[in-house]
Amino acid sequence: MPRFTDTIAALATARGTSAIALIRVSGPEAARVTGAIFGLVPPARRATHADYRDLAGATIDDALFTFFPAAGSYTGEDAVEISCHGNPFIVQKVLEDLFARGCRAAQPGEFTQRAFLNGRMDLSQAEAVADLIHARSDRALAAANQLLRGGLGRRIQDLTDRLLGILAQIEAQIDFPEEDLPAEDRESARKAITRLLADTNRLLATSHYGELLREGIRTVIVGAPNAGKSSLLNRLVGHERAIVSEEPGTTRDFIEERIMAGPHGLRLVDTAGLNPTPGAVEKLGVEKSHAQMAGADLILLVVELGAPLPDLPESAWSRFKPSRTLLVVNKCDLSRPQLDYSLPEGIPMVQVSAKTGLGIETLVEQMIIMAGQIQTIDSEDFTVINARHADALSHAMAGLNAAASQLAANGHSELVASDLRGTLAAYGEIVGRIDNEQMLDQLFAKFCIGK
Amino acid sequence: MGASTLLLTGNIDTIAQMSCNPAIGGQAKGQMVREIDALGGEMAVNADVTAIQFRLLNESKGAAVQSPRAQCDKKAYQFRLKHTLELQANLQVFQATVTGLIFKESKVIGCHTNLDIDFIGQTVIVTTGTFLRGLMHIGQNKNEGGRLGDFSAKSLSASFLEAGIKLERLKTGTPPRLSGRSIDFSKMVEQKGDANPTFFAFYDTREESPLFHVEQTGERRLGWAPGTEQVSCWMTHTSPETAKIVRSNLSKSAMYSGEIQGVGPRYCPSIEDKFVRFADKPRHLLFLEPEGRSTNEYYVNGLSTSLPFDVQVDMVRSVPGLEHALLLRPAYAVEYDFAHPTQLFPTLESKKVENLFFAGQINGTSGYEEAAGQGLVAGVNAVNKMRGTPPMLLRRHEGYLGVLIDDLVTKGTNEPYRMFTSRAEHRLLFNHGSAELRLIEHSKAHGLLSPARIRNIEAKREQITYWIEFLETNRTKNGSWADHIRREQHEKAALPEAFIRESSAVRDEVLYRVRYQGYLAREQRQIAKFADIEKIRLSPTLDYLSIRGLRRESALKLAEAKPMTLAQASRISGVNPADISILMVMLSSKDKQGD
Ligand SMILES: Cc1cc2nc3c(=O)[nH]c(=O)nc-3n(C[C@H](O)[C@H](O)[C@H](O)COP(=O)(O)OP(=O)(O)OC[C@H]3O[C@@H](n4cnc5c(N)ncnc54)[C@H](O)[C@@H]3O)c2cc1C
Ligand SMILES: Nc1nc2c(ncn2[C@@H]2O[C@H](COP(=O)(O)OP(=O)(O)O)[C@@H](O)[C@H]2O)c(=O)[nH]1
Ligand SMILES: [Mg+2]
Repeated sequence: MPRFTDTIAALATARGTSAIALIRVSGPEAARVTGAIFGLVPPARRATHADYRDLAGATIDDALFTFFPAAGSYTGEDAVEISCHGNPFIVQKVLEDLFARGCRAAQPGEFTQRAFLNGRMDLSQAEAVADLIHARSDRALAAANQLLRGGLGRRIQDLTDRLLGILAQIEAQIDFPEEDLPAEDRESARKAITRLLADTNRLLATSHYGELLREGIRTVIVGAPNAGKSSLLNRLVGHERAIVSEEPGTTRDFIEERIMAGPHGLRLVDTAGLNPTPGAVEKLGVEKSHAQMAGADLILLVVELGAPLPDLPESAWSRFKPSRTLLVVNKCDLSRPQLDYSLPEGIPMVQVSAKTGLGIETLVEQMIIMAGQIQTIDSEDFTVINARHADALSHAMAGLNAAASQLAANGHSELVASDLRGTLAAYGEIVGRIDNEQMLDQLFAKFCIGK
Repeated sequence: MGASTLLLTGNIDTIAQMSCNPAIGGQAKGQMVREIDALGGEMAVNADVTAIQFRLLNESKGAAVQSPRAQCDKKAYQFRLKHTLELQANLQVFQATVTGLIFKESKVIGCHTNLDIDFIGQTVIVTTGTFLRGLMHIGQNKNEGGRLGDFSAKSLSASFLEAGIKLERLKTGTPPRLSGRSIDFSKMVEQKGDANPTFFAFYDTREESPLFHVEQTGERRLGWAPGTEQVSCWMTHTSPETAKIVRSNLSKSAMYSGEIQGVGPRYCPSIEDKFVRFADKPRHLLFLEPEGRSTNEYYVNGLSTSLPFDVQVDMVRSVPGLEHALLLRPAYAVEYDFAHPTQLFPTLESKKVENLFFAGQINGTSGYEEAAGQGLVAGVNAVNKMRGTPPMLLRRHEGYLGVLIDDLVTKGTNEPYRMFTSRAEHRLLFNHGSAELRLIEHSKAHGLLSPARIRNIEAKREQITYWIEFLETNRTKNGSWADHIRREQHEKAALPEAFIRESSAVRDEVLYRVRYQGYLAREQRQIAKFADIEKIRLSPTLDYLSIRGLRRESALKLAEAKPMTLAQASRISGVNPADISILMVMLSSKDKQGD
């Protein structure tokens, strides 16, 4: 009977609006990893509340975890279930941390597979397990393909090609020392690696899905000066962060705050206000507001009760798409007549008072619904794939860093090559295994080798 | 292993004749020769004894990729090996050309020869090299033969086709040979051998005389000995005139006129290829390498071609130092049949015909070391097959021979396959000095080395373990000895007295493992990841198409490839991790049913 030497981890609950996410870990390292995360010897089969601390010691979330020793676990090996908030940002952090601690992302259906192989299921279930693996892997593949068809796939391909080029140079020197090759140019190799490192890092930081998950949904608050944008932000955040002023146009720089709306992480951005005839100082702020709107996932358009919509050029209105715009009528504590707005159809409207808190709950509910629509990527596999990608990219960076420092320290080429091969394998985890033949193709295309 | 063996060859005098350059070793190949020695093969000693120049390549690029290389005396190499075969117990050598195989049902039981003598055997190993329908080209001139001056095995191919074994054509080439008398060496750069040669064989663990050149026995007198000068090689290069001659005669080249159908290796281009594909490179390096001590024949490394003879003469004479060169033998290209190695199990036994093994160039490889390694594996496994004992399966992380065989049987090849260090993902583990340590379990399991040598290797392994432990745990100033060694970039690190007195084989290996500790540990972690599925054996008769949940295209690929382990299955292109998971589940459910 196979005994597994590695420990696997994955999100077990489907994502979406559920408030709690369940992450499962199984394998010989489960007890050690759990102990290290929560700083205590995990008691068996008892749900325990503790802070989830990542490798760097930072608290990611307060979580509930239950440790199951092999004898009584679903998979037949040591296992732990960690429940944390169902926010994709937190889930991703937790998975990334588990990978950093040596766990590996579970393959589709792998928990069930282990349960079966460890004798936890009877024979009649084997075919059901095979079907499940089949179905899950198809779904995971579809999700991965969807992600790779976009810019990510193309960019990783570009990084891979460049890396193969660098590696081919180094390997040519190693494998064909007696050839009449151009002299080894370590300095340009190091520079090329440094550029690759910067681009890999940028990819890790700017990939849109990664950003949604890491940074939350960009929610930009716009409206006329004095409509109560800053007050609304403060109300949503729950403390005074933005400067609230009776003098119009006080908020010139952007204030950003992160909040949770149900399971979703939101990044609220307060803007200066949309004033068609601003003074010199405000002008800059207004331009910036337009820029912010362009990069928004969700726009809260704030108007004062009884006031008209801000006077904007025709082109600006195109930004207010129904799927991502919410009209917030503020200052409803005042008794003023309600105006009718001619807005694109389908933009929901909520009436609130930032001052008294009236209607804020309804507003948040509406934001949760819209955030859910924005994060359509809400299948279980998606988060896993995404966390896996991030994990692969950070491994890629580790390899590049190590190679660059070997080069700088006059290290042996074989070690530089070993580090770069680690990076190649990491890119390969995203775009599919990269065969050594591809490196040889580049090598023979570039250099005249052979006697 | 003691099995009674018959060696049939078309010509006894050409046993171990090197068709091309008489050089053994070099990148990755040098490490392979040491692995062959670790598995009881003859190549290492034979090369050491008959070498006329030794060089260790890649000294500056790290210990794992350092490779010993030797220029050998072509005739001495060949005759010494022939004599070794004559002395080998249980081996009979006989001169005859094999014309066909004898099959019974789906098994091979022997062969026919041109002398109308049939031979019957329990297993048959085919090592026809470049001889299967060998066709040589010099411009438009064509001659049948596997090698200049040799025959072509024509009827044997039909036997393979009859058995359903697929054949295809490959091509390789060789440069002209020149008379040393006609070469002006004063225009060339001399390349000397190393003052302290690195030998291929592991003399420190042999029970016989540790260094052959210290106690020269009669048999070994042929070789290099201290005080004997090594022979030099010479470097020169093509001239603009060479380029002009090649370019204006391209249409006469067998390769460029479409005469040749076989695919040639990318790493061994003809001079035509070099000037066409790398048109901006003004000149190409050439090496003049002596073919032996008692001959004046020189090999022009770098000038492989299939141009007509008259063009060859002009081309050679356009090279600085070769203005008056006399050609002894022309350059030529040779085309031959090979059998796709994906038709083999990792034991090198045919999937189609039981008891039939293939080794060497017929499997699509090129090179003496690649051929020798396969011959060894096929030989060991033929005996195991006959006796019903477990096969010798070399794994990818155990050495270049493991990589070689796995690449061949799992991926196959479209060009003559040559080993490169970059083909090995665990290259860092394959430093040449560790070959014996990596392969000892195989040598032990299959009785490939004498008990005394096994004991010596194990003792060496213990010494190494002891010293690593010692250096890691004992302190000197600023931490352990090991830390100290890792901090010091070069050989400068001060070391404990007793350690310095150790043999250099032990010392080098200890220092290597201490220095590279972090990298080696990473390699081990990666190997451990696959250890689980490496252990799971798959039966060649498994019916993949009936396995529920397996994608049809994967099932077809698996049925065709018949992998022997789950790990091998996972390396077949198009088979994904989910397929492996499903296989695992279904296999173990079969096991359970059997219980
Ligand atoms: C022209 C040429 C150029 C080459 N160039 C290079 C190079 O540049 N680099 C490189 O690494 N390698 C090169 N090689 C390859 C190298 O020589 C071979 O890979 C290696 O020798 C193969 O070993 P082998 O044992 O498989 O076959 P071979 O060395 O070819 O030996 C085959 C043996 O089988 C015998 N034989 C064949 N058919 C029959 C039969 N039907 N009956 C009985 N006996 C038979 C022959 O007599 C011969 O002794 C070259 C080979 C040739 C011919
Ligand atoms: N009565 C009432 N006043 C509000 C409300 N929200 C904001 N205000 C007031 O409106 C003024 C401008 O608010 P501020 O948040 O600075 O507006 P901004 O310019 O859009 O950021 C301040 O005097 C606030 O106290 C509200 O809901 N009700
Ligand atoms: Mg404001």
